[in-house]
Amino acid sequence: MTAAGIASPVPVVAARNLCKTYQLGEQSVHALREVSFDIQRGEFVAIMGPSGSGKSTLMNMIGALDVPSSGQLLIDGTDIGTLDRDQLAALRNHTIGFVFQQFNLLARTSALDNVKLPLTYSRPRRADATDIARSCLEKVGLGARMDHVPSQLSGGQQQRVAIARALVNSPSIILADEPTGALDSATSLEILQLFESLNAQGMTVIMVTHELDVASHARRLLRVKDGRLVEDRAVTGALTEHQS
Amino acid sequence: MTLAEFIATAMVALRRNVLRSVLTTLGIIIGVGSVIVMSAIGSGASKQIDAQIASLGTNQLTIFPGSMNVGGRQGGAGSAPPLTEKDLRAIRENVTGIDAAAGNMNSGATVVVGNVNWVTQINGSSAEVQTVRDWPLKSGRFYDALEASSGRKLAVLGSTVARELFGEADPLGTMVRINNVPFQVIGVLSEKGQAGGRDQDDVVILPLSTARSRLMGRVRVPDEIGQILVKVDDRYELSEVQADIERVLRQRRRIAPNATDNFMVRNFAEFLATRNATTRTLGLLLASTAAISLIVGGIGIMNIMLVSVTERTREIGLRMAIGASGSDILGQFLTEAVLLCMAGGFLGLVLGAGIAIVISTLFAWPVYISPGVVLMAIMASASVGVIFGFVPARRASQLNPIEALRYE
Repeated sequence: MTAAGIASPVPVVAARNLCKTYQLGEQSVHALREVSFDIQRGEFVAIMGPSGSGKSTLMNMIGALDVPSSGQLLIDGTDIGTLDRDQLAALRNHTIGFVFQQFNLLARTSALDNVKLPLTYSRPRRADATDIARSCLEKVGLGARMDHVPSQLSGGQQQRVAIARALVNSPSIILADEPTGALDSATSLEILQLFESLNAQGMTVIMVTHELDVASHARRLLRVKDGRLVEDRAVTGALTEHQS
Repeated sequence: MTLAEFIATAMVALRRNVLRSVLTTLGIIIGVGSVIVMSAIGSGASKQIDAQIASLGTNQLTIFPGSMNVGGRQGGAGSAPPLTEKDLRAIRENVTGIDAAAGNMNSGATVVVGNVNWVTQINGSSAEVQTVRDWPLKSGRFYDALEASSGRKLAVLGSTVARELFGEADPLGTMVRINNVPFQVIGVLSEKGQAGGRDQDDVVILPLSTARSRLMGRVRVPDEIGQILVKVDDRYELSEVQADIERVLRQRRRIAPNATDNFMVRNFAEFLATRNATTRTLGLLLASTAAISLIVGGIGIMNIMLVSVTERTREIGLRMAIGASGSDILGQFLTEAVLLCMAGGFLGLVLGAGIAIVISTLFAWPVYISPGVVLMAIMASASVGVIFGFVPARRASQLNPIEALRYE
């Protein structure tokens, strides 16, 4: 996060004629066609689109979970198409902080151990893993609940633990997939405000959503439809159906 | 991940469903347990046999007069000319590698003290017999060579005879009548126990010359000896000393070079060979039982691990998303399988040892659990974990993280 906020010549995400084609029997499904964009360090981007638009495919590639069929996707300047499975895993570990709709916390495991989990897969190993995890939990306002297991936490608190887990490796990107999809509107607002405050501190946040009022917390909107990028604009104030 | 983290993670996963973990390892528990019980009984028995063989003396040779072929008719055992004091002397003087050699004659006799009597075996033996048979005294003393040759009527009692005749009383110095001949008790032997179905302590040892003249009845030659017992010096090869004895005796008994011996030399190496063969068969039986039960147990482990991988697909997806490599996931599930198997092996060990102890107290069987078997049981169950845990662990490590995360 030290370099955050400073305009870097290397975009944190760079898509170059990105294509993804799935083979379903005889048929080729074009999930993404010729998508190109840059995301700079410190941006807060919402990716929107109806289901089947290709936004999940795009998110998987930004998350280094999938590789393009053609074109390039560069994360911190690294072309993910050139990496093998284990290199992709290492890239995810160091560069991406995932936040999921269903939180995906390990049951029967304390908040602290859940947050520490990405560090156990880091190389080289951090000796101060527990301290880092503690400070991340404090950052999301759960300093008092480190020993609680997920079943003892509310949905909003569980998502905060998941966000702390995403922050623990000081990633280049927080990648959130429908982060408020399983939360009520009041809690959703708290989580979105947490993202805003992280972004204000310089963290790059990319959020996939299908809700306009969620997307309106972002500062840039990418809209995907039928595998193509159909809209790329700055967000100022609340978005309405008319505006989109 | 470090090994400690793998183990910690596996413990959390296994504790999540304790009953299932225990049921899964039941195959391993029963397999290892039964192998432990069988091997405990088997090696207990063979240890007992070892002790019996050792009490007979493994470095001991026994020389008997053999059978003789007269005009094409083979006589029975003992039909050949008897062994004599001269044979004994020739062996003592001409064979190297002998620790001690003793003459011996056996007979049955009734021993009477007051109004108590006991039928037992009489060993008329030279004084060296105590060294040859390596038989310490419980009390008193043994007669010496001079006493043995001068016809003194002294007796050394086996512990069974002493107990039957005297109970708790001290027999030393008492006169006993053996076939109506009075003998003075000068020593009591320590217990040697059973061997070959015979109580070795049910015996009275007397000086050879006294026994021969007073108790053995008719002898064929005045200095007849029933058997010669030889203790071989540990530094010499038993078989070489045996060959040397055969050479000396053939020479003394004037046996033509191509004629067969009219005496026999026996050693306990033959017993040992039989025992080793029995042990090998038992070992083979154990190994195959262990292999079958561990394979069955291993299949149980593999089955439940496959179920576990499916159930935890989302968890695997999450771990991959946050940076777990294929080998991290492989290691995690392998550790779980190995831990499960080793825990099963350990429980089986405890169960088997418990049953073995119960058997030994209930039936008074000797049991022995060798450290080697314990080590093997643990190693074998760990290997089962690796072998049968590999397929599920590999399946987990090769999951596609995107599909795994989406798995309901």
